[in-house]
Amino acid sequence: MPLASPFSDDGILLQDASVAFSGRRVLHGMSLHLTEHRIGIIGRNGSGKSTLLRLIAGLIAPDAGHVRVDGIDPAKDRRKMLTRLGILFQNPDHQILFPTVEEELAFGLIQMGADKAKATAQARARLAAEGRAHWAGAAVSTLSQGQRHWLCLQAILLMGPATILLDEPLAGLDLPMQARLARAFATLPQRLITITHDPASVSDADRVIWLEAGKVHADGPPGDVLPEFVSTMDQLGMSDADADLSG
Amino acid sequence: MLTLTSPVDTPLHRLPAGGKLAVLALFTAGLFWITSPLWLTLSLAAVLLLHGLGGAAFARHGLLLLRPLWPFVAVVGLWHLWTGDGIAGISIILRMLAAVAAANLVTMTTRLSDMIAVLETIALPLRPVLPPRRLALAIALVIRFVPVMSERLAQIAEAFRARSPRRAGWRIVAPAALAALDDAERVADALRARGGTE
Repeated sequence: MPLASPFSDDGILLQDASVAFSGRRVLHGMSLHLTEHRIGIIGRNGSGKSTLLRLIAGLIAPDAGHVRVDGIDPAKDRRKMLTRLGILFQNPDHQILFPTVEEELAFGLIQMGADKAKATAQARARLAAEGRAHWAGAAVSTLSQGQRHWLCLQAILLMGPATILLDEPLAGLDLPMQARLARAFATLPQRLITITHDPASVSDADRVIWLEAGKVHADGPPGDVLPEFVSTMDQLGMSDADADLSG
Repeated sequence: MLTLTSPVDTPLHRLPAGGKLAVLALFTAGLFWITSPLWLTLSLAAVLLLHGLGGAAFARHGLLLLRPLWPFVAVVGLWHLWTGDGIAGISIILRMLAAVAAANLVTMTTRLSDMIAVLETIALPLRPVLPPRRLALAIALVIRFVPVMSERLAQIAEAFRARSPRRAGWRIVAPAALAALDDAERVADALRARGGTE
């Protein structure tokens, strides 16, 4: 894969990016150029997946190297990032910031510069278009888990980002809800980057990146990467290798 | 839970929040001027009549909201019976009921966002120290996360009970506080992901 110049404004570019938490390296000199439509990032717990997500999203800055999303530094220019990149967090209760549905939907638009009345009108129009007009004033605490996931996704979609980062999007959901959400994701025109430990959920991706101990272990189409991932995970599962402490 | 606005639509819902709050302030101040039990009874009756505008279900809900007052009613009543000043006791009870019922009525007929908008306007002089948008965000976050945190507390209490014959009590204060900090960090991430507080 050719590495594009740092001035490329298409896609997500990491050049030799490293992240350390209190001296311990979590990501080691990561260089990636992500331009595909559907990208899966897989790895075990602690492999650095979530750190990579936070790095791409600009929630943390790299300690060395740099990260560009469509030519923008995601950790610096937060305002510009809002139209480029949205994040769907794993737990909706960590993402929903407002007590009512319409406030939650309107917030992102206000952040992007819309005035409150316009943002609220847009939020209501979206709810009406989705057949949920009666949700507008509802308290988010009364929504079911699946409804909260739906709300989180809509809040991001309203902001119209070109890329959406999904952090273990299907974990902990019942099967009908998983099917519904997976279907919703499949129809999205946005570039999706899915972070997961579940190989099945990225089997339709255009590209799969396997992280191991903060480094890229394998990178390619799912047909090349996933079978080896599955067999390695099976082997690890057979052994009692869980006695080591990190640090 | 903090969904205090009534879903029953009353004519009072359509009045501006600022006006309702101003009238409420005047009314409550007025209650402390009035000393005659007759006029206090009339004030209470007026508030209850306004509850009636929303229909039976709405009025019943309003009365239910007064229920937490009964210990105060009992204590004040008994005390004044003891001191032999029953009239003063009745005045205090009527005043309390009328004030709380009126406040509940405004709460039940005003959307939270309108209430916050009024607060933002009132807080305008504080702008250099406390930008109104940040104040509004803080209020919304409190209302949003009180139920989340009480759920978290219940989870921790359950985890304690699952491995202990004793009740959790004060022992879970520290873990609950740490869990709250952990949650706060994630919420900060979510806030930053959507543009932060700027």
